[in-house]
Amino acid sequence: MPWAIVIAAFLASAVEFVEAFTLVLVAGITVNWRSAIVGALAAVATLAVIVATLGVALVTLIPLKVLRFVIGFLLLLFGLKWLKNAIQRYSGLKFLHDEEAIYTTNLAQARARGEPVKTGLDTFGVLLSYKSVLLEGLEVAFIVISFGGSGAGGLGLAALGAAAAGLLVIGVGALVQAPLQRIPENTLKFIVGIMLTTFGTFWSGESFGITWPFSDLFLLLLAALYLVASVLLITAITRRKPREALATTILQASILSQKKEVRS
Amino acid sequence: MNIILKVILAVYNFFVGDLVILLGVTLLMVVLALIHFLGALAPLRGGSGIILIVGVLATLVATLGREVMRPENKQKA
Repeated sequence: MPWAIVIAAFLASAVEFVEAFTLVLVAGITVNWRSAIVGALAAVATLAVIVATLGVALVTLIPLKVLRFVIGFLLLLFGLKWLKNAIQRYSGLKFLHDEEAIYTTNLAQARARGEPVKTGLDTFGVLLSYKSVLLEGLEVAFIVISFGGSGAGGLGLAALGAAAAGLLVIGVGALVQAPLQRIPENTLKFIVGIMLTTFGTFWSGESFGITWPFSDLFLLLLAALYLVASVLLITAITRRKPREALATTILQASILSQKKEVRS
Repeated sequence: MNIILKVILAVYNFFVGDLVILLGVTLLMVVLALIHFLGALAPLRGGSGIILIVGVLATLVATLGREVMRPENKQKA
């Protein structure tokens, strides 16, 4: 029976840790690791204060639905903005963003002026990391309290399961982040846009009592749906451009010929 | 007054920077809240998930549509 509590808490917490770590990874790779780690540590500190102050009463005092709504709403805003920019870049409405070239130019200019190079905190990176770790961390705390609430050292066993899940996810994540950094920046931002929109839809939906089919696995289906929709939008905009160019050329040619006729 | 406006603008630009996205997502949340809290709209609760996903996609299409229709983007074509 004690092992059942450890395993149940481990599995349930692992899902939450994966969700939190995914967004920390996103912040680390696309913004910078300093911001991602500061955001995550700040969330862990907030969580520690909340858990130490409220203890088991946490389950009744923190309105998880309100938290999910606020974070889901903000992630939807961020996600749609990123996705829109990525689609615009891929369809040619915006120039592709070459971060490495920009960084190299800025670095060379800063060195030429004798200025120190900026490697500071980025508000977006810190906030993204903070809110995802805070929300998922609270969910882990809820899981530990729910599974461990049966007494007889249950709380300690559930916490042990959750801690093991956390360590495992962080370990796997540390191995995964190196190959992820080799993905081109625009592709990564496109994926991030899809992921933020996916998490935003999922959490804001849950705050309104929506029960998603297949539970947390629905995140994958949702991401696939947004990916397909985005690819279709890129194709539609790219195809539209040559047709518009042709229409503009025909229109300009007819105006020119009309002008010539008037002159003659 | 000027400082307040600047702060509001900075917050808006940080979180969204796009009026279509802000209005679309806010409207979507209002619709979902109405479905969730109004008894008269209870029959729609089963389809809330689909409404949310379709609403998100519609917002994306609307904001991209606006970008495509912009004169400078038409010229790019």
